[in-house]
Amino acid sequence: MSRSDGSSRRLFLRRALLAAAGVIGSGPLLQGEQLLAAGVPDAFDPEVPNEEVARILREISAGKPIRRGHLTLDMPLVAEDGRVVPVIIESDLPMTPEHHVRAIHLIVDHNPDAHLAAFQLTPAIGSVSISTRIKMKRTTWVRAIAATNTGEIWADYARVQVTLNGCG
Amino acid sequence: MAPRVGDARIRVPDHVARGDLIVVNAIISHPMDTGFFRNADGDPIPAYFIRDVVVTYGGAEIARFTWTSGISRDPIISFTLKADREAPLAMVWTDNKGDVFRQSADIKFASA
Repeated sequence: MSRSDGSSRRLFLRRALLAAAGVIGSGPLLQGEQLLAAGVPDAFDPEVPNEEVARILREISAGKPIRRGHLTLDMPLVAEDGRVVPVIIESDLPMTPEHHVRAIHLIVDHNPDAHLAAFQLTPAIGSVSISTRIKMKRTTWVRAIAATNTGEIWADYARVQVTLNGCG
Repeated sequence: MAPRVGDARIRVPDHVARGDLIVVNAIISHPMDTGFFRNADGDPIPAYFIRDVVVTYGGAEIARFTWTSGISRDPIISFTLKADREAPLAMVWTDNKGDVFRQSADIKFASA
């Protein structure tokens, strides 16, 4: 599984911002990276744009923290045709009866129906590797959020630039 | 001949061994109209989309997808399956008009 260019670009931006904040230098930077790796909510998560997305996130997380990690949302940086935008969602979380991903939610911030899809899963599928194609109205953040049977919430985000409105 | 609404195909690997993690690919013909577009005469095209997909393996439900018209026309979906028994993998798509479409593929272990 290859990380998209978007991921490395985001990582670069994070590093640049950390540096700009005056925390550059091996010690503090390492600490920052460790925090990111540990899935601590950080200032680089996309801003929640409106009450509807806030409500959807509350509904999914049920009060638990939404942490970045264990989930990869792979999407193009630029989608020329908003009617057909490929999506790949993968996770390294186990799919065993004791510990598994129960649901994956796909949210497109500025679509007319932001909560675009939900995928309810069971251990029988063996792994999380889902792909499909979606419509996007305009340039915005896309959120993939996984909820496990043990109550953990993991997320990944992708900002997709949309040239042609696919929603009308 | 153009496919009709609801025509569906499921693709699974030909050669599967017990316990393999296989990839299942499914596609169904459906306009997935959002309700926001108009036709050539300027009349609105009503929303018409698949909202529910149920996947069963040997009769047991293993996944369920809730969709909106935000899924692209002629929806494709791929996911993995732990092939631990020979049984049919069946999918049922239901749209917002209540029409139900079914397709299945047999998971068979290679004898060779």
